[in-house]
Amino acid sequence: MATNSAIAGDTAAPEDHGSHGEEIAGHVVLLPAQVKNTLVDSTSAGSSRFMRWAIALSVLSVIGIVGLVLKFLAHSDDQTKWGYTAAVAAFLLTVGGGAPLVAVAPVLAKANWVRPLTRIASAFSLIGVVTMIVMIPLVAVLPPLVTEGARRRSIWFESPDWTPHTFIFLAMFTLLLAGLGLFYTTALPDFAAMRDHSSGWRQRMGKMLARGWVGSTVQWRTLRMRIGMFGTFYFLILIYVHFLFTSDFAMGVVPGWRDAIFPMYHAMSSIQAGVAITILAAWAGRRYLGLQDYLRLDQFWSLGRLLFASSLLWIYFFFSAFIVFWYGRSLADIAWVDLFIRGPMIWAFIPGMLMSFVVPWWWLIWNRIRTSVDGPAIGAVIVLFGLLLDRMRIYVSSWSVPPEEIHDRYLKHIPETVWPDAFDYMIIVGTTAAAALVVALAFRLVPIVSIWQTQEYQLLSKPVRYIRGHGVLVAKPD
Amino acid sequence: MQQRRVIDQVETNRVLLNGQLDTPKWWLPTVIGLGIVVIIGFVIIGFMVNRGLGVTGLSRPVYWGLFITTFVFWVGISHAGIMISAILRLTQAEWRRPVTRAAELLTVFSLLTALIFPLIHAGRPWRIAYWILPYDFARGIFPNIRSPLIMDPVAISTYLTGSTLFLYVALLPDLGNLRDRTQGWQKAMYTVLALGWRGNPRQWKLQTVGGILLSALMLPIFVSVHSIVSWDFAVTPAVEGWHSTIFAPYFVIGAVHSGVSAVVTMMALMRWLWKWDDFIRPEHFDALARLLIVVATAWLGFTFLELIFAMYSLDAPEIALRELQIFSWPWNMMFVVFLMTGYVIPVGMWLFKSVRNNIALMFWTSLFVNIGMWLERFMIIVPGLSRRTPFVYTWDSYRPSLVEWSILVWSVAWVTFLMLLFSRFFPLVPLFEQKESQIFVDRIKIGRASVPAILREQE
Repeated sequence: MATNSAIAGDTAAPEDHGSHGEEIAGHVVLLPAQVKNTLVDSTSAGSSRFMRWAIALSVLSVIGIVGLVLKFLAHSDDQTKWGYTAAVAAFLLTVGGGAPLVAVAPVLAKANWVRPLTRIASAFSLIGVVTMIVMIPLVAVLPPLVTEGARRRSIWFESPDWTPHTFIFLAMFTLLLAGLGLFYTTALPDFAAMRDHSSGWRQRMGKMLARGWVGSTVQWRTLRMRIGMFGTFYFLILIYVHFLFTSDFAMGVVPGWRDAIFPMYHAMSSIQAGVAITILAAWAGRRYLGLQDYLRLDQFWSLGRLLFASSLLWIYFFFSAFIVFWYGRSLADIAWVDLFIRGPMIWAFIPGMLMSFVVPWWWLIWNRIRTSVDGPAIGAVIVLFGLLLDRMRIYVSSWSVPPEEIHDRYLKHIPETVWPDAFDYMIIVGTTAAAALVVALAFRLVPIVSIWQTQEYQLLSKPVRYIRGHGVLVAKPD
Repeated sequence: MQQRRVIDQVETNRVLLNGQLDTPKWWLPTVIGLGIVVIIGFVIIGFMVNRGLGVTGLSRPVYWGLFITTFVFWVGISHAGIMISAILRLTQAEWRRPVTRAAELLTVFSLLTALIFPLIHAGRPWRIAYWILPYDFARGIFPNIRSPLIMDPVAISTYLTGSTLFLYVALLPDLGNLRDRTQGWQKAMYTVLALGWRGNPRQWKLQTVGGILLSALMLPIFVSVHSIVSWDFAVTPAVEGWHSTIFAPYFVIGAVHSGVSAVVTMMALMRWLWKWDDFIRPEHFDALARLLIVVATAWLGFTFLELIFAMYSLDAPEIALRELQIFSWPWNMMFVVFLMTGYVIPVGMWLFKSVRNNIALMFWTSLFVNIGMWLERFMIIVPGLSRRTPFVYTWDSYRPSLVEWSILVWSVAWVTFLMLLFSRFFPLVPLFEQKESQIFVDRIKIGRASVPAILREQE
């Protein structure tokens, strides 16, 4: 081994033999077999508690679907009643769409700290199944491009009347497929591990899904290439979905609202939500599955920094739009400020702003908070609530505009506040529970922390002496 | 991807200080040539100030033209420093090391140049003071502090101050090095500038902490500067094509695109002129090109959004403007050139590793980007003003005069002149970064493979 012996030459000596991994100078050394056994066992850990949670979430999911059906039967002809459903769909897209990027982007940037988190992050693409279900009635109540003999403003210009309805469905389905592809591809070696080292239905499922994976050189090369391709494709299609969703389900239903930054604001806050949900799931995995040696402080610290940065970006994108409307003072600009800021949803705007930016910024700015496990997790919960309120502000306000005003050049009457009804509560709670259930079920099939990524991480990092202290030599393969 | 060879510290000093301790032969004639261009430029500026803006092509309704375009262009170039230096430092990107000094310098000198343009654009530069200070108490006329035109100089001055400080803090160890290797007045100068640098652990710690803190502090300023420049336009609903919410991030990402490309151009020149092949290697160009592919694609996405939502409005004047920009001569030609040089040609070429590792091709493609980005600013600013609108009794296409073109050429010569002057007294590649990189880079043997690795201090 060619080492730079001047300073970082020798491997540091073990200092502390923990019960799980061997800790050398703050760096936990785990043997490949140890990694495999612990993580395979984690899929069946706490079975009885999991069952109780799964039953509760299933019941809530059914309530959510019932709420969705009942609402459609009661209000399919009244677009103004669907704001909260649109907000929930947007929130699920925000969370489930953004999380897989946490798995992709740092890997492309060769950041090794993200390796234990890739499974968690990519699993949230499964939420897309729930989003698609919520989208069914929502697409049905979205007005066509031509209503009352006139064509409304849209990115589709002169296309056939039902183009947005078709394309958003196709785009979201493609996003779901790309997310599933990413999740499945990154999990392939772990399915093989489940096949070889678990028992019962997990073993059978592992055998079926591993598709003859033996870990040959060709298979590894193909796997890496597929991860890169799926990651890039997922990112591109995610941006496209946000573009379609925001322009068709928000801007398109408000007369005079022209906001070129809005799709990017939506996509950016999706990344913020993705980071937040990944922190939260990692925190749960660490706490309830005993994976302290795998989901370590380094992961929370790095994610905390990302959450901090994305919270700053949230305010930047928001302010970039706000200042233009605020200074513009045209009738359309004033209507935007009246509708989305000081209008009917001010109750959601103020706490949403506080929880999406002000509080997480002030909380995560402190080094001691970021360099802890609980600190970023608390920040993540705050951000997720903030973004839910933000989506309500946007979509409830947008959908509350009466359809007969859709052809005006700008919004002339600011609608009254629309409060959630019983169906809305059922849908919000039920779909959120369904999303949690889908992800939880995935982690019974395949470990929450990727086995092969962790093993590779162990190979790529080595504790060394550094001057009078210690350092870690981190390999960056091409 | 490590093409480095082990270079000891003596060799590093000898090669990287060759500009200061042993002036290259080409340096003096080049500086004299550029100096002549700079002097001619100042004479032309003086002529314009003396005669008034009538010598330019500016006239109603196009009152913002080539000067403001060039101002935005140089502010954009200034984003190179913080993007390369601060962001890559915070993310611990190892390949940044030979690039940082040049990028920071480009920031400082391009900002200095950018600041000159609004001054000369005002026609009577001394009257700029009236923008900054309340002057007419009797009539109650005060500068509107809420105006982006007031925020602009504040943001740019803050950015300039911060960037200069950032550059200086990173320069301290090298100044200490130069002090110990020079005699006479040069030694005296470096002694004063080095601020007693001895390289003890406390000084290193403070220098590192200072660098990180400044990086973090500069980031919001870096974003705010070009955002505020964009709001000069975006908060004006009266001009079609300007009143867009996307302008702030669109300008910032465009600035990063042009700034990083300018760094590539500069690195190629540095490698050729000072023969720093061991320090500025193809792998650095490769990394910068990869970064540029991402940045340029994001920028193209913003361009698309800006265009599509202009059409989305279905407002007749807005659509007429886009038709003018894309289909009417000479704007259509400029639009094609801007798109081809700003994205299609360079990014298309950077997709190939052989291009990313070819210094000459990287030099030319990065130059292309900045031609395209200058045109982009011109196409944003001028067509919206020159379009015939209701209640406008005069309209015409804007043709920049020879005076304006000369001042544009002067600005390029001026920045190059300042860079060359700097290179005579200070190293363009940070020595301490190079020496540190020799220590931090290592390899790990995994099976039969030897993988490049980087040492990270344990937190």
